[in-house]
Amino acid sequence: MGRRRRGVDRTPGAGSGALPEAIAALSRALSAGPSPETFRRAKFDRPEAAPALWQLLFRVLSPTTQAGAKASQGPEAQVRFVKAALRCQGYPRPALAQLPEDGSQGSRELLLALAWLLARGPLLEQLLARTRVRLGDEMTVCECEDVAYDGASVGLPALCVEPNLHVDIRHVQWLMGKLRLRWRNLVSSQQEQCALLSKVHLYTRGCHSERSLGHLSATETELLRDPDGSRQLLQALEQENARLEAAVQWRRRELIFWQWMDTVLDSCPTQAPGAAPQPMFLPRITDRGPRQWGLVAGELQALQEQLQAAARPRRAAWEAQVRGRSQDPAWSTTWRAVRQAVDLELVALQGAWDRSGTPAQPHGPHRLVRSESGALAGRGLWAAEAIRALRSKEACLEVALRQLQGQCRQELARLVGTLSGFIWIPPPGR
Amino acid sequence: MLPADCSRRLLAELRGALDACAERQRQLERSLRVSRRLLRAWEPVGSPTAEPTLGPDTQKEELSPGTPSPQDLKELELLTQALEKAVRVRKGISKAGAGNKAPLPKSGSIVTPATTAPLQLRAPGRAGSHASETKAPRGICQTKAPAKGHPQHKPLSSGDRTSQERASRTTGPGLGLRDQATAPPAAQPAPEAFTLKEKGNLLQLPAAFRKAASQNSRLWAQMSSTETSDSAGATATAKAQFLQKMQVASGLCGPRLSAAEMEAEVRRLQKACWLLRLRMQEEVAAGQERGGGHGRKRGGPGWLGGQPAPQPTPLPHAAPTDWKQELRCLLTLEGLQAMVGQCLHRLQELQAEQQLGPWPVGLPPRSLSPCGEEDPSWGPRLLLYSSTQELQTLAALRLRVAMLSQQVHLEKVLMAELLPLVSARGPQGLPGLPLCRAVHSLLCDAGERFPTILRDEPTG
Repeated sequence: MGRRRRGVDRTPGAGSGALPEAIAALSRALSAGPSPETFRRAKFDRPEAAPALWQLLFRVLSPTTQAGAKASQGPEAQVRFVKAALRCQGYPRPALAQLPEDGSQGSRELLLALAWLLARGPLLEQLLARTRVRLGDEMTVCECEDVAYDGASVGLPALCVEPNLHVDIRHVQWLMGKLRLRWRNLVSSQQEQCALLSKVHLYTRGCHSERSLGHLSATETELLRDPDGSRQLLQALEQENARLEAAVQWRRRELIFWQWMDTVLDSCPTQAPGAAPQPMFLPRITDRGPRQWGLVAGELQALQEQLQAAARPRRAAWEAQVRGRSQDPAWSTTWRAVRQAVDLELVALQGAWDRSGTPAQPHGPHRLVRSESGALAGRGLWAAEAIRALRSKEACLEVALRQLQGQCRQELARLVGTLSGFIWIPPPGR
Repeated sequence: MLPADCSRRLLAELRGALDACAERQRQLERSLRVSRRLLRAWEPVGSPTAEPTLGPDTQKEELSPGTPSPQDLKELELLTQALEKAVRVRKGISKAGAGNKAPLPKSGSIVTPATTAPLQLRAPGRAGSHASETKAPRGICQTKAPAKGHPQHKPLSSGDRTSQERASRTTGPGLGLRDQATAPPAAQPAPEAFTLKEKGNLLQLPAAFRKAASQNSRLWAQMSSTETSDSAGATATAKAQFLQKMQVASGLCGPRLSAAEMEAEVRRLQKACWLLRLRMQEEVAAGQERGGGHGRKRGGPGWLGGQPAPQPTPLPHAAPTDWKQELRCLLTLEGLQAMVGQCLHRLQELQAEQQLGPWPVGLPPRSLSPCGEEDPSWGPRLLLYSSTQELQTLAALRLRVAMLSQQVHLEKVLMAELLPLVSARGPQGLPGLPLCRAVHSLLCDAGERFPTILRDEPTG
């Protein structure tokens, strides 16, 4: 601690400048990150390195839409956010939670946190992809963006609902109707947009410098129409190119960084192994997670009861039948055969949800390319296939919805049947 | 009226759904504005009727004598007249050809020195020199910019006629600067503007942009390829070791699940529940069919949610296949029950894990990985369509799937909130009938139809 030295720790096999170069590349790729000197100070847990690292982690961890809003809230809010986000990601070390909230200490811990994030996943690529300049007309086929839309509203600060508000059921009905209308508007707007895009693609056939794409996208055509926009886009592209080059350089040199991080970890004082992590009593603005959990738990329990109700009488009937048959020699072999067949079936059924989703499903936004002749076969996802996949998903969801509605119908019929003096006439069936 | 906490939760969910929809609509509107503008005639850049993006100072500069000295004006007049004459000559030739829609006299007088190739073809020196003489700095920017981004023509290898057409028409976006200044008595309306439909395939992206774009795709390709390079092996081991050491040093027994992973687990269990339920219904329905020959009533087309399964009639002298199937059914149901038990157990484990650290402040768990299992190849991904119809179908299906999953989620939420309300008042003997009716329509018909309730008056 406090040993002032130029240059780098003598990691074996490294040139004296390789580590600062690697760190500098990392900083450039992260777009204006702290200098190699800051990193070096962080290894020795110098307090002056802390604020820069808090800010860096804040920038890295916050989603782009909210970064601006949160940044204006001050360093304490940033510190709390970083702690919460890291915990959310599953950061193992409890020392982070114990750092003071004024952001003045803990640079070594923050350095470890950053390295942990880098090691766990393709952090740089994800960050770059988040702000990637999209030159084409993009459409996503998977459902991941739906979560983003739902999350957009969840992230809003304090849905201002009065705590003692009672609503009428008619208000709920009205809101549902409003939702239906909005979807309908959305669909018609979307249809119009598709028609327009298709026209743009059609009219600009043969213009693109890349033969494989064949036509300009609306974005590119727009930049031809609007020179100001084209300047901005060009600037953004160039910035992204600079970051990408830095990232490529980082990739080549990162081994040295990891070797150095090992030394950083070694220089940490060892923690008491049994120290329980302090629970963080953060106010919950949304309980979407626990709500989801509650719904699933309820469903599973209901299902278990129904299964019990279905299986018990059968078991009783079976026992009654079996009494006269247990001496039959062929019976036990048949029994075992049936047992095995059922077990195999159930294992296969379990595989249906144990598998981590359909790996073949393409994710992320795709660039729309109009290609009538089929000349680009093999280069991308065909709309016809995507339509097929979506239709099957649609069918599944419709089945699920009908099933739920049927459940409700029966439940309500049962409940209402207990009333006397009223005749309940359900609406004409489908 | 609904109780307060129920109201709060319902409102939160519904408003969330409405906001999500509104957000999509906003983004769509933005793109729609752009597309509509592209398909109209492109306003000449720099004219007062051009897009508001140019700002009010633009107009002022144009109308004010940002025009150069009288000397230049005179020269301009001369040039204009000369070019008018040239165009008239051409007009005579071109009229013999196919219908030329361009109002030639107009375009003749509009001649801006700062237009591009076509004029340069005919009057090579003059166009360039006048372009440089354009005094107003803003003018230079404006005329140069369209010159750069303006539809540069492909080498005019086609015949004279087409080149004349282009020459007369493509003065569109480049001009306008001089419209007010030189406003000759032939004060033309907006000259033949550029439309994508007619001249879309003449466009060409500016060179700087093309270079940047190709570099961009090259670099992204490099990013995905370096992941599989040779030194990646050593780096990957180093990273794994580092993570391991972190884990050990922190003193926790096992890796903690991140919020995203937990959500994924919960979704998995949800899917499991659904599949198990389907299987159960198949089994029970099959069992009923087997017993259907004995005249038992079926409980509806497979929706056996709330009712207990009817008793299977014991068959004293059943054929071997019959009891084998009965056995199979029984074992399947019991196996399903066991699996549900396992799922519940797993869920409770997750809950216990969650107790250690509550879900953080309004943090969308997907803040860092927008697409959970994102394809590691970060190269360009294309979606190829062949007709407008196909694209529209695709987009409509996407939205329908999103809407359906939202509907399913809302249905579950409504069930969880509203069914207890209806049943809670049951013992009182008279649950709020409007409430029952509303709940029924909401839950069973998505609010589209209502049941009827008749009061059964005892006669006499």
